[in-house]
Order: sequence, then C-alpha cells, then structure tokens
Amino acid sequence: MSTAPVEIVEPETTEKTAVEGPWVVIVWDDPINLMSYVAFVFRKLFGYSKDEAERLMLQVHNEGKAVVSSGARDDAERDVFRLHEHGLWATMQQD
Amino acid sequence: MFRSPIRRRSDGTYRFQISTNERALVVEVMSDLRDRITTPDPTLERLFPPPYGDDTERNAGFAAIAGRELLDRRLAAIDLVLATADADRLTAEELEAWMRSINDARLVLGTRLGVDQAGSTPETSDQRTLGAYEYLGFLLELTVRALAD
Repeated sequence: MSTAPVEIVEPETTEKTAVEGPWVVIVWDDPINLMSYVAFVFRKLFGYSKDEAERLMLQVHNEGKAVVSSGARDDAERDVFRLHEHGLWATMQQD
Repeated sequence: MFRSPIRRRSDGTYRFQISTNERALVVEVMSDLRDRITTPDPTLERLFPPPYGDDTERNAGFAAIAGRELLDRRLAAIDLVLATADADRLTAEELEAWMRSINDARLVLGTRLGVDQAGSTPETSDQRTLGAYEYLGFLLELTVRALAD
C-alpha cells in the first residue's frame, strides 16, 4: 500500500496550523462497519472521489488505519465529530 | 437479476419497498436503541469513542462540548426513522438518517454479540439479536448502494 495522504481539507487553516502545529485525523479498522459504508462516508464528508475513498477504506481495512484529513485542531475536532456522528472509529493526534 | 427495494427516483427521492415484517424489525430495534442510548453502557462505546487516545483530560473536554450534540443528532435520526417507518418513499435526508441509525444499531448489536472479525458470524445463543444484526447489514448495504448510485 502507498503512504497515507495528507489532504488539507480547508486551505484557509494553513496559517493557524503554522501556529498550532498540524493535527491528523485517523480512522481505525473495526470488525463491524461495512466496507461500502466506510467508503461512502469518506466521499460524503470529505468530498473524495470514488477511487480515493475506496483506496482510503482499503488502507483502513488492510493496514488497520488511515489518515483521512489534517489541519488545525478545531478543524480536526470537527472532522472527528462528523466521523463519530457516522459511527466511524476516529481519533486525532498532532503530527 | 436482483432488483433492489431501495432505488433513486428521477425526482431525487427514493423508492423504499421493504416488507412489513422488515419494517417491524427496524421499529423494534430503533425503539430499543432509543431507550438505551441515553444511559451510559459499555455496548454504546463505539458510538462515542474517545478522540484523543490516552489523553483523558482532552477526551473529557471533547465529550463535554460534543457529547450532547452527538447524542442529540443520533436521537433526531432515530426519530426520523421511526416517523418514516411505514413510508414507501423517502427523501435523501430521510434515507441518510436511516443509514446512520442502522449503522448505530449494528455497532451496538455487534458489540453485544462480541463481533471481533469482519465478515464472520459470531457464535451466540442469541439468535434473535444475530438475526437483527445480519438483516441490518443487508439493509445498510442496499441503502449505501442507493445513496452512492
């Protein structure tokens, strides 16, 4: 598998991240969520193409986790919230 | 050829044609989830995972800010499912509420069943819960296919 992508979801956060240091949002593999569901949630929440969402989902499935977004702490918390709202197992940490 | 009971219509709504028995099962599961979801319980862990790993202080801060909102959104989605349980046509917003609530129910039932390997059937004497878990997986797959179409 290739390395995890670091997508800046909101470009305007660049200034803030320079001060705070970037945070990454990680989705972890779990035995219950359906693969098709996880890929669909990635498309819906982050606007990933079908192929990119599929690739990230497979990375979660095969490697146990994948970075799905990054940015300032507030933006990472917002992404974690939306992932939790959809029942995905998401955490965040400073890169 | 298999024709899905959930299909997008040309006006952007969705045909939703599951059976009366299936609807009754969904109502039973969702009513049960609604009753349980407000009381902290280990089987609800997957709905509210700690975002900061071992950092208990930050996890508590996140829970204090986001916990209630997460719960309210889950309750609103469950209520929308219960309100449209008999509908044979759903809006995209309604179908997405079904999608999230079905997934929530699978997470809770799967945790209760001790599902620990993707795609494998857990060993259990609780055939009723297992049956509901497997049906909801099928329904979720059809729902995602319709929405992703």
